[in-house]
Amino acid sequence: MPQIFVDGRAIQAESGQSVLAAALAGGCDLPYFCYHPALSVAGSCRVCVVQVEGRSWVEIACNMPATEGLRVLTDSELVREHRKSMLELTLLNHPVDCGICDKAGECSLQDYHYKYNGQPSVSLDAKVRLTKYHPLSERIVLDNERCILCSRCVRFTREISKTNALGIQERGDHSLVRAAEDGSFDKDAYSDNVVDICPVGALLSRSFLHRARVWYLEPTPSVCPGCSRGCTVNLWHRKREWKLHALDPARNTSIERVTPLENPQVNGPWICNKGRDLAKVFDRPRATQAMIKGTPVELAAAVEAARELIGAARRPAALVSSWGSNEELAAFHAAFGARFASYVKDDWLPQPGEVVEDGFLIRADKNPNNAAARARLPSWRERGEHFAAGTDLVLVWGEGFDLAQVPTTAKTIRLDGYASADHARADVFMPISIQTERRGHYTNFQGVVSAFSPCFAAAPSVADAEALFAALVAVTESAA
Amino acid sequence: MSGRKLLMTFDVTATSHTLADYRARGGYQTIEKVLRELKPGDVTKEVAASGIQGRGGAAFPAGRKWGVVHLSDGQPHYLCANADEGEPGTFKDRWILEYAPHLLLESMLIAAYALEVRHAFVYIRGEFDLPYRRLAGAIEEARAAGLLGAPLFGTDFSCDIIAHRGAGSYVCGEASGLLTSLEGKRGYPRNRPPRLTVRGLYQQPTVVNNVETLANIAGILANGAAAFKAVGTAKNPGTRLISISGHVEKPGVYEIEIGYPWRKFIDEDCGGVQNGVALKCVIPGGISTKVLTAAEIAPLTLDSESVEGAGSSMGSGGMIVIAEGTCMVRLLQVMLRFYHHESCGQCTPCREGMGWMHRIIDRIVAGEGRPEDLDQLLRISRMNDGTTICGMGDAAGYATVGILAKYRDEFDYWIAQKRSRYDGNLECRRSS
Repeated sequence: MPQIFVDGRAIQAESGQSVLAAALAGGCDLPYFCYHPALSVAGSCRVCVVQVEGRSWVEIACNMPATEGLRVLTDSELVREHRKSMLELTLLNHPVDCGICDKAGECSLQDYHYKYNGQPSVSLDAKVRLTKYHPLSERIVLDNERCILCSRCVRFTREISKTNALGIQERGDHSLVRAAEDGSFDKDAYSDNVVDICPVGALLSRSFLHRARVWYLEPTPSVCPGCSRGCTVNLWHRKREWKLHALDPARNTSIERVTPLENPQVNGPWICNKGRDLAKVFDRPRATQAMIKGTPVELAAAVEAARELIGAARRPAALVSSWGSNEELAAFHAAFGARFASYVKDDWLPQPGEVVEDGFLIRADKNPNNAAARARLPSWRERGEHFAAGTDLVLVWGEGFDLAQVPTTAKTIRLDGYASADHARADVFMPISIQTERRGHYTNFQGVVSAFSPCFAAAPSVADAEALFAALVAVTESAA
Repeated sequence: MSGRKLLMTFDVTATSHTLADYRARGGYQTIEKVLRELKPGDVTKEVAASGIQGRGGAAFPAGRKWGVVHLSDGQPHYLCANADEGEPGTFKDRWILEYAPHLLLESMLIAAYALEVRHAFVYIRGEFDLPYRRLAGAIEEARAAGLLGAPLFGTDFSCDIIAHRGAGSYVCGEASGLLTSLEGKRGYPRNRPPRLTVRGLYQQPTVVNNVETLANIAGILANGAAAFKAVGTAKNPGTRLISISGHVEKPGVYEIEIGYPWRKFIDEDCGGVQNGVALKCVIPGGISTKVLTAAEIAPLTLDSESVEGAGSSMGSGGMIVIAEGTCMVRLLQVMLRFYHHESCGQCTPCREGMGWMHRIIDRIVAGEGRPEDLDQLLRISRMNDGTTICGMGDAAGYATVGILAKYRDEFDYWIAQKRSRYDGNLECRRSS
């Protein structure tokens, strides 16, 4: 454990760590573009310069091993001068089109420029013109003029997603990041991470292109329900104070983009492309109307009807959602655990064309909370998907089940957040809230528990499953 | 005659590059002697004792470079001859590759023995056609004669040498860029640390030496370090191959004994400046070394101490003679165009700085220059000095600073008059 001194302040470094990594971990503020903690050192942006005390020159901190007793300066005259020069050169051919750049507001180049340089360009000459809109894949476009050639994206495809899909063509100030011609970047299931790690606005997500200025958005920490990995994510949506009447009202309550929420235990700083498309999952048509045998009723009436069915049932069974939170599962267990023959069903199965499983993040189980649900209950699929003889009531919670599979002699209660024609066949249907409208936890396949928070308020006609189960159990017990 | 010779010791004929002729000159006897009589460590000691400095430009002592490699550390070591002679003005290694390829191969075998190398490489410039054919032919001959890739002279030492052609990039002549390119990747230079002698080719300890440096090894081991030290100057022993070009009567590759008088070399050995015009200046060793005026070189001798004392360096031995009447603005424009074109684009200062300098000098030549542009050129040179991954960023700065320091008046003239001082001025001063 070598100890280094940054501007005289003692910092404990880990052995083998670079000065930059140690200084950043120790709370120092050093600028960097090409360095990324999860990627190899490129040492090409040259802005993380520091001066070793007693030397008359500067060196880059990202490639300097932290050795015992090393004393570096991050704010000497020489360091300031070089840092300013490097930022000046980085900006030399940068178009500074922040006004139309999606990265503006969270751009390292913008931040460092104001912090360390702050001066207009002294160059009289025209900037190098390059491709402004190059489609790297179906999901990502590249603005070569904004690109500062930090090579983070190239190293990501080599070291993390291992597709080797990106490389650099040409040389000098005409260098261009380009995708391999075999289309491997289209097939890269993690390609959207390069948009996050791009320090400037060169790599842009098509789904987020010109959709919103990031300062109108706020992130809500959540968990990706796309598979049993349970990557922690940030769901970005419009800030409450920036909800605009001029917009389509749906835009005020839609998820604008999804970014990874760094979690060393689960996903590190990455998520897969399916996680980026969570908005498509959450924005599907919602079920908001309670029904009795297909006839719209008030939610309270539907709860009343369900209560009667449950009270009258002799051999009730239940299919439990593997998308239910730990809290909902506990409430279900407290309510029906003793009376119901309950099984966990897979709400989602791998979709056609989807990556089923890989050696990195993506898991074959496409449900977020099977681990917690299966800890208490057997699997519906492993049971062979049949109800015990004489079952007279089936409660189906969540998606991924067709009511036609229920014996005609049994009554049905259905709880679901999304609209489906199947709901009208249930004796009682009650709409429930979805993940973006409630608070809860998922347990992933490794047993790591992650929390998610609500982004939006649920419609008043939608029940919260946790409260609903509790309400039903209170009623059932008093009736019994 | 330009002093004693160590490399150009034979008459070039139609067959002098072949194995038979090389053997007739005593070839491949030194490697046999070394294998029978010396231990690997002793070879390195002998090379260190000879005091030979690298001939590629940096003049790093070869013995010191070799000494860093730990023998018997259980790792594979690699040796690579840098034949990617790309420095403008330099074409000296070409002579060795064309006329004495077996000398290089024998020297490489000796070096391979000293460094415990089993696979050595020659990274040869892609544009070299005849040199490549000669080298490839020599490797084939040597392989057929059991000299490469087979145990030699009853010992268990064997080494194979592979010639690899570059694809025409200047930065691939930089040792780490060369190894990256040899690995099959984009020829980007690497950050130090780690040094190449610690983690080089395929992350293994690797020694990269210039072709001329290596070609001297056989002679050093054949005649002993003392005999080598007897040639040249005390601090800078041996001979140098100088490729001289530009406004000179007899351009070509010359072998000079280090310490040979500079003016004498140009005026007598090379026949003086073309058409008897006065000498304006000389670029001593490739365009990355600072230009020296005729007055500055007059008292100098051709050895690194003397040239470095005048603020430049012997570099790679690519001497460019510039006659009176040459426009230094256009010369700098050509140089900066080269550096801009050859910048690999990996690190910011060189990628952006080269293009910026090129655009400024182009603008000056187009008559759009401003007086402050010259200070801007110097400022960009300073931004590049020591901040880049490889030495190329510094090199462009040296060239610019060197020319601007000595010929700033020509730039001022062009900026003010929007034309060269020498345009239409065809009469140049004759040397007396």
